[in-house]
Amino acid sequence: MQSRRKFLKLGAGAAIGGLAVASLPKTAAAHPSDETAWDETVDVIVIGSGFAGLSAALNAKRKKLGSILVLEKMQVIGGNSAINGGWFAVPKNPIQLSQGILDDSPEELVNDQMIAGRGMANKEILTKVANRALDAYQMCIDAGVEFRKDFNIQVGGHNKARAIRTKHGTGGDITTKLYEAGRREGVEYRLQHYIEDFVRVGDKIEGVVVRRGYRFPDQGTGELVRIKANKAVICASGGFARDMKLRAVVDPSLDPTLDCTNHLGATGEVMLSAAANGALPIHLNMIQTGHWGSPDEGGFGWSNALLSIGWHEGISVSVLSGKRYMDERTDRLTASTAIMNNRYSDGSPAYPLVFFNYNDHPDDDRVVRALRDEMAWKVDSLEQLASKFNVPLDALKKTVKEYNEHVAQGTDPDFGRKMDTAKVLKAPFVVSRIWPKVHYCMGGLKTDADGRVLDARTMSPIKNFYAAGEVTGGVHGQTRLSSCSCLETLTMGFIISEAIKANA
Amino acid sequence: MKKLIMSLALALAMVVTAQAGDLVTIKGNTEGRSYHKSLYEEGCNYCHPGSPKKQVTDAACVDCHGQINDIEITKHLKMPEANPHKSVHYNQGASCLACHAEHTRKAPVCSECHRTWFDKM
Ligand SMILES: Cc1cc2nc3c(=O)[nH]c(=O)nc-3n(C[C@H](O)[C@H](O)[C@H](O)COP(=O)(O)OP(=O)(O)OC[C@H]3O[C@@H](n4cnc5c(N)ncnc54)[C@H](O)[C@@H]3O)c2cc1C
Repeated sequence: MQSRRKFLKLGAGAAIGGLAVASLPKTAAAHPSDETAWDETVDVIVIGSGFAGLSAALNAKRKKLGSILVLEKMQVIGGNSAINGGWFAVPKNPIQLSQGILDDSPEELVNDQMIAGRGMANKEILTKVANRALDAYQMCIDAGVEFRKDFNIQVGGHNKARAIRTKHGTGGDITTKLYEAGRREGVEYRLQHYIEDFVRVGDKIEGVVVRRGYRFPDQGTGELVRIKANKAVICASGGFARDMKLRAVVDPSLDPTLDCTNHLGATGEVMLSAAANGALPIHLNMIQTGHWGSPDEGGFGWSNALLSIGWHEGISVSVLSGKRYMDERTDRLTASTAIMNNRYSDGSPAYPLVFFNYNDHPDDDRVVRALRDEMAWKVDSLEQLASKFNVPLDALKKTVKEYNEHVAQGTDPDFGRKMDTAKVLKAPFVVSRIWPKVHYCMGGLKTDADGRVLDARTMSPIKNFYAAGEVTGGVHGQTRLSSCSCLETLTMGFIISEAIKANA
Repeated sequence: MKKLIMSLALALAMVVTAQAGDLVTIKGNTEGRSYHKSLYEEGCNYCHPGSPKKQVTDAACVDCHGQINDIEITKHLKMPEANPHKSVHYNQGASCLACHAEHTRKAPVCSECHRTWFDKM
């Protein structure tokens, strides 16, 4: 035992560092089907405890697939899902129906997604997912998830109001309940278990090599154990937006100054290990960025919500010049590029400001929370604004004066902005700083429509190996629509557990 | 073991709080929480069974303090939402170690995003 551990440690040690984390297959192949080489055996191993992992584990248990073990590297359950915004697209959801929207359907949703995917999305998978939306919704309701009463709205890129939202506006409302349901029904969860590698023998994934007692992000912590999965290994390890090296390799245009909305554990090592064991990664360079980030808060934060007022009613100015520098209502890519042109001479970000009238929204939740959490500030005059953020005052005054004239005329000769929602600016103001943040990885492991991971060399499924959620690629194509990851991750749990049942 | 828990309970009762206290020097370069002083009299074994090099698990905390949802926060909270023991993101799905450390100061996991809500513990 002791010597085997040492042996394993050596093998893994050589593989750590750099991008290619993987590479224990050699040691695994040394004892292919030697039962004693395993420290433990279960029926199904689930990697990751976000929506995809929680749903897959619960559904596998309900399909009577045996012992289900969820392995999570962090010290908390839930990954990105736990901090997510709680938007969930469900065609034909009860709230939508009660609003009299009767003409929605899974096909309608898929059409919207296909347009967003710009020819790179997978219709078969999207359709399968959309068809299970109500199952996923019902699983949440049964587990005790609460959604906002009578709340169902149309979000960006959708042609209909079909997005519901959790009570507290966070995916944590769902992850905590699915976790509790899983515990009640006998799913086992272990924190601080870092997947180091897969054990592939022939055309089959037999199990995983895990760093037990891992303490994020210290690679030297914990000890290596090998766990075998009789029926399936389900990879639900999420996206890699926090993996700065990998991010830069697949999309060099992602500026290193860009922060990220994701939880710290959103790194790509499991996907890369899968690739090293033959899985096909695709669309890795398709990474979604939000131009609505604030450098004064972590993660996703309140900025996006605050700017839904700011972009429409206020203006964005450069701290360098005191002038506007873009149409505040332009598309994401154009806005990100314009924002990131604001830099000091050493290249560091000169975070542009967005401000609007405080007196138009003193009690608005978005304003109250932003001021409370000090990611936005109330200033009483342009003088105060200029001195707080070091903006040239005369230029700023001129900008506001001219802009107010444009509001009165209803046109924006400088940037051609649509001015129907613009307001004459009058102190006091709510002001925040902005800089884009990296948000979602469309790319990842290629699977078939049942979530079976495809082998890059044969294009057929690797036996016993499944993947779900943000770690998969080729589903959404160029852009994922808002509220559709929640849907995909939760429904894939149904689809995969059925596929395992059929295979077993 | 029982004796340990008793003396710990007593220490807790005296300060009427379930917090582990400030960092103080325990021995040599090792720092630890002031309210855990009595535990150190027995060496490291209580929290690190087997070897001081062994990683601590939540069991070491839960034995004395109970489950996360049962532990009241006696510290001043900036707002009710900032109660990490009733987090809408994690609730019971959080390890004690996500926010607490015995030998060093550690920022609670929530402060990663909610930067103004928490002091370092
Ligand atoms: C702030 C934010 C807001 C969002 N809002 C929405 C929204 O409102 N609606 C919507 O549909 N989508 C939203 N998204 C996107 C969506 O939340 C994510 O795409 C989705 O949660 C991904 O789920 P997942 O289960 O695939 O991955 P995750 O939830 O990220 O779970 C993956 C888990 O795997 C673990 N893991 C990773 N590597 C290892 C390893 N080596 N060993 C063991 N475990 C590992 C991670 O720690 C993590 O816990 C949002 C995303 C963010 C970041």
